[in-house]
Amino acid sequence: MDSRPTPTSLIAILWIPWSVLRAAVRFISRLRSNIPGMIGFIGLVAYFIGTFIMPRFIEFDSEPNLDEIVGPIGSRIQLAVHRENAHLVTFEDLAGKTVGVVDQTGGPDLIAPYAHILTIEKYRWTSRRAGPGLEASLIDLANREIDALLIFSKTVTELITNQEDPELRALFNENIVISNRALGPPHLLGTDTQGRDIATHVVHGGRVLILTALIGGVISTSVALFLGSIAALTGGVLDSALTALTNLILAIPRFPLLVVMAGVIRFNNTLYLGVLIGLLGWPALMRAIRSQVLSLRERDFVEAARSLGLSTNHIMFREILPNMISYVMINFIFSITFAMYEQIGLVVLGLAPINDYTWGVMLYFGRSRGTLYNPDGASMALSPVLAIAFFQVCLVLFARALEEIFDPRLRAAV
Amino acid sequence: MASQSLNAPLETPGFDRIIDALGRALKSYTVRVFVQAILTIWAVATLTFLLVREMPGNPIDVLIEQILTQEGISYQEAYDRVAASFNFDPDASLLDLYFDWLGDLLRFDLGTSITSPGTEVIDEIARFLPWTVFAVGMGLLISFVLGIVLGMTMAYYRDSFLDHSLSFLSSFMTGVPNYIWGLLIIIVLGIQFNLFNVGELRGTYDIRLVPGLNAEFLLSVCKHAALPIATYVIATLGGWMLNMKSSTMGVLNEDYVNVAEARGLKDKRIITSYVGRNASLPLFTQLTIAVGFVLGSGVVIEEIFVYWGIGHYLFQAITVRDYTSMQGVFLILTMAVVFSNLFADLTYGMLDPRVRISGER
Repeated sequence: MDSRPTPTSLIAILWIPWSVLRAAVRFISRLRSNIPGMIGFIGLVAYFIGTFIMPRFIEFDSEPNLDEIVGPIGSRIQLAVHRENAHLVTFEDLAGKTVGVVDQTGGPDLIAPYAHILTIEKYRWTSRRAGPGLEASLIDLANREIDALLIFSKTVTELITNQEDPELRALFNENIVISNRALGPPHLLGTDTQGRDIATHVVHGGRVLILTALIGGVISTSVALFLGSIAALTGGVLDSALTALTNLILAIPRFPLLVVMAGVIRFNNTLYLGVLIGLLGWPALMRAIRSQVLSLRERDFVEAARSLGLSTNHIMFREILPNMISYVMINFIFSITFAMYEQIGLVVLGLAPINDYTWGVMLYFGRSRGTLYNPDGASMALSPVLAIAFFQVCLVLFARALEEIFDPRLRAAV
Repeated sequence: MASQSLNAPLETPGFDRIIDALGRALKSYTVRVFVQAILTIWAVATLTFLLVREMPGNPIDVLIEQILTQEGISYQEAYDRVAASFNFDPDASLLDLYFDWLGDLLRFDLGTSITSPGTEVIDEIARFLPWTVFAVGMGLLISFVLGIVLGMTMAYYRDSFLDHSLSFLSSFMTGVPNYIWGLLIIIVLGIQFNLFNVGELRGTYDIRLVPGLNAEFLLSVCKHAALPIATYVIATLGGWMLNMKSSTMGVLNEDYVNVAEARGLKDKRIITSYVGRNASLPLFTQLTIAVGFVLGSGVVIEEIFVYWGIGHYLFQAITVRDYTSMQGVFLILTMAVVFSNLFADLTYGMLDPRVRISGER
């Protein structure tokens, strides 16, 4: 370490981004040998592009679109057509043709606006599930008496795929396909119950969550760093008081506390939730940082700096902090995962603001409207779930790679 | 002698002796830790008492509003009726309430529920808590044992393909939030592959059965708890694996392991009583931290699986602003965290003699 005149604290603070940058360069050069870390890193970059840059080019699909619907709200209807008509995507393509609908299914309502361009054939709905009425409609379709049929997706699977009669099965499989743009290429992840594109929701649903988690992580890490180093460097009464406070907060069940706090404060902006999560999340890390600083303080190079008469500021920012910056970075990433965990948990319970259509809100609606429990809603249910899951996994993989690469001997010394 | 000392004005020295004994007791590690635990519980309880009452909307206002719109009576009448039926006085001073509550607490009385008068909170907790303890306890136990076995395997075969894939898997298991695991289980296994009926598995047991010690009832209990338990196991297993791995790697470098090998002891014996026992020691303290975390996060898990445990009860209490119930649950959860930490502190010395010696100093 050089012994130039004590830098002002401003310059000292610039040391932090500089060390972070240096660490990042060092890290990426070493990352090549760590495959899980590489996966996590690439994943995080992909998430950044997907949630912060792509929304600028992809518009949020908020228009309910009945043509592209998987099924009207509450029902699960699909369009079955002849094999050669598989390219049909909307009712307009069917102009002049005969479309069969099954009575009492919601199908007639769905098709009513198109009554002037289509010939509609009604089939009787029998109370017996997958009864002859529905089967008759499919047989008509297979025999080309009608051109298309609106039918329950579950019934279709049952009548076509699980058909016990081999003759009928062959007939159906040869002639009928489900033509639904909803699950075709134009909608990468299909559409939701209102015919809106799920992929655009996934792209737009991450930004606020990630920002909130970042705010939570930044606040909890900096509070922990600040209080931890103050406690360790000053010692005495302040140290005991801070340690006692930390132990007290650690004894409170954190998630239930957040649940109650979220009820007390009633946020209208998700980002404030990040602040609250950050303010409750520091104690564990503060304890770790305190013991780190305590151990670093006794190292020879700190002793040397102190005997040179360098200021506490200098010792903290130039001697101690650079030596635990990787540890702090790793824990910063972990605190982001905690913040993510907590805020989405609150959203799923319905205790956080739902004015942004985030992944968490998609889950909340999925749960409250029952689409999570709908066999045809796989894409609706799994898209937000997997988006959250992979983000968290990427963070953890990345943090673990950091841990391995920087080999925190420090922690062993604590 | 006895009468002499009784007649003599010896009150002051006796008092001193008590103080002295108290001081000595406070120096004892066990007592100090106990006092600290009690103080922590008191502080958290006070904090939640204030916090809970700061929540917007109180149970009475909601009901008064209802009565006013339904029956054309005066506000005062409606108010009186609700106040009488609700066991809750919104005008009572916070300080009075606090001391009443604290006094009751010392008699282990958590009060009665506000929204359903006559129901003792402690009875409700006794009704809901065992299910959570069962699910969380089983989940942690299974994941702990599995984690120790897998973690040791990882350490023994370190840098092999097995180690790398297991550590990748563990990142997956810890990274994905536990309620996301729960949702994945429901969506993928329950709904898509139809392996079980999600609707039937709600609640803690099949309500058509009468609780009792018969095979049918116990099977139903296990079935209903299986999904939450599986979730807890998956979500906590990764952590145990990694911790056990690093702990085992440390122990493998110890001299006594080399000596045991040199003595020609059987591998099995070295693995179980030399390496396994010592490497799993640090994990016991982490187990107590996990208890607190898993109990707390049970709120979401139990809501997702509609498993009627303490988390579900807490969530219901929050939605209807049942102050006493919320306080009660909070107190129980805090006590669980504090006492499991205390338990770890006190038993760790028994498990690991090295700590006992340095702890007494």
